[in-house]
Amino acid sequence: MSFLSLIIKNPFRNKSRALLAIIGIGIGIATIIALGAITEGMISSADDTLRAGGSDFTVSGKVEGESSQMVGFGTSSFDDDYVDKLANVSGVDRAVPIYMTLLMTKNSPYFAVIGMNPSDYKIAELTITDGRMYKDGTDEIVLGKIAADNEEKEVGDTILLDDKEFDIVGIYESGNSYQDQGGFTSLDNSQKLSDDEGKVSTIYIKVDKDADVETVEKRIDDEYGDNLTTISSLSDLDMVKNMIDMLNGASLAISILAVVIGAVGIINTMLTSVYERTRELGVLKAVGWSDGKILLMIIGESIVITIVAGIIGSIAGIIGVELIVLSNIMPLLTPIYTVNIFVQAFSIALFVGIIGGIYPALKAVKLPPTEALRYE
Amino acid sequence: MNSGDVMSRIVEIRDLKKSYEDGNIKALNGISLDIEEGEFVSIIGPSGSGKSTLLNMLGALDIADSGSIRVAGYDLKENKKLNVFRGDKIGFVFQLHNLIPNISVCENVEIPMYTQGLSSKDMRKRSLELLDEVGLKDKADIRPTKLSGGERQRVAIARALANNPSIILADEPTGSLDSKTSNRILELLINLHKEEKVTLIVVTHDMEVAKLADRIIEVLDGKIINAEDGTLLENKIRVEN
Repeated sequence: MSFLSLIIKNPFRNKSRALLAIIGIGIGIATIIALGAITEGMISSADDTLRAGGSDFTVSGKVEGESSQMVGFGTSSFDDDYVDKLANVSGVDRAVPIYMTLLMTKNSPYFAVIGMNPSDYKIAELTITDGRMYKDGTDEIVLGKIAADNEEKEVGDTILLDDKEFDIVGIYESGNSYQDQGGFTSLDNSQKLSDDEGKVSTIYIKVDKDADVETVEKRIDDEYGDNLTTISSLSDLDMVKNMIDMLNGASLAISILAVVIGAVGIINTMLTSVYERTRELGVLKAVGWSDGKILLMIIGESIVITIVAGIIGSIAGIIGVELIVLSNIMPLLTPIYTVNIFVQAFSIALFVGIIGGIYPALKAVKLPPTEALRYE
Repeated sequence: MNSGDVMSRIVEIRDLKKSYEDGNIKALNGISLDIEEGEFVSIIGPSGSGKSTLLNMLGALDIADSGSIRVAGYDLKENKKLNVFRGDKIGFVFQLHNLIPNISVCENVEIPMYTQGLSSKDMRKRSLELLDEVGLKDKADIRPTKLSGGERQRVAIARALANNPSIILADEPTGSLDSKTSNRILELLINLHKEEKVTLIVVTHDMEVAKLADRIIEVLDGKIINAEDGTLLENKIRVEN
């Protein structure tokens, strides 16, 4: 039997104790995986929303104070005069007005109604999978795939939004969960739904082929910076930034807690194991094992427990997140499992294993062999 | 043993002293002793006499306060790599077998071989040879918890022989066994001692066991005394049986 096999076998002599240690550390790992996947999903979803379609950047109204954090999510609006003004800025190819509003429907607490001229549908990168695009000047709407499933609707049905009936003429997929859980209709319709005619919430900007995006963005900032704000990346969005900072903060706090709780748990488990095996450790010394080898064995056993906890915790974390998705508690949640999340979780598991193993291992090494062999 | 035999000295102890609890307990109080290679020596004495401490010194499990001790060419007072000495030169047999319960009998015998850099395959091969010698080859792949007391002690003997030691140090090897099993274990130890030409040093409080040895060394209050008449033999190196 190899030394490694011995290290792998040893922690499972007392199966219930090993299992308890694994559960303790596994809960921490599961939480890290779940929070990581949710955070990544939110970042990606917000990014998709910002970059909806083939726009180079978006422009939103500038509002001072708290509400400025909601910029870009269609809750603040500004005059649609700016659409023409921006279209005339040097380097701008197209300025596409958008009006976004969130409504509550029978089956969904967040239904995004996105108003856009039908001729601009390419910029939103919608793929009509059934039916056709809506027409201007009608009460037509196209529904996202997820929204259609949620509302149990298909082409030919109608949907009631804020007491107004819309004819569903098409189903689309955009790959963006926020958009796919809502619908697109004419700009006019969405403005009327919010009693906000003559206003837009966002303008998508597409620059000329040979123009530099940053230069054009700066021109708009210089000229209209007092009233408008350009958003080209997530970091421009205070709200998103704050939310992600908060989630990352929570992730970090839970990671630290997982390390501390896990390390205490594993120290306890390994110390008990070392005390129980005192005579055996005496024998290992008697048959010539070096202190280094004994140290390696005990720390190795501790790492085996935490790695198993890492595997089980990761699986539990994924199952947990998928259950949240299935239960529809967070309808806009699209978790993303990146390699980075698992690397982080397993690094923490390994770290806990080493930290938790060192003290019991040193205890084992310091035992005088004669005392160890006499231990009752 | 005839003094005319040409044998090399495997143990050379001079005025060895060891005390515990700040000198209040004198476990060894000036022991001098020579043992020849291939000898079978028994060390007897009542509880607390220092016989186990002497055995621990011989196996480098404990360090003396003063005096000198050379075993199998190693100066145990100066040498820092005592684990290498133990792994290469000594095979221990304890009163309690101290086998690892969750690994097989064969894997238990392999434990000392981890210090020798052998492959897993070679370790198993050697382990099976040794188990064959102690008559337990057919039980190689079961857990030691399934064995009787005597069988476990035979596994412990096989484990002691794993690295071809120069000396087997046995501390009350039959202490926890019934008399019939004891006899079998002693027979096994003596046969191995003869066949492998390994020096055998047995600590016991059982005179019947001690009598089987080439030489009996009696220890009392940390000193060697004559086994027959109890006369103190301080500074006298050899005790003739």
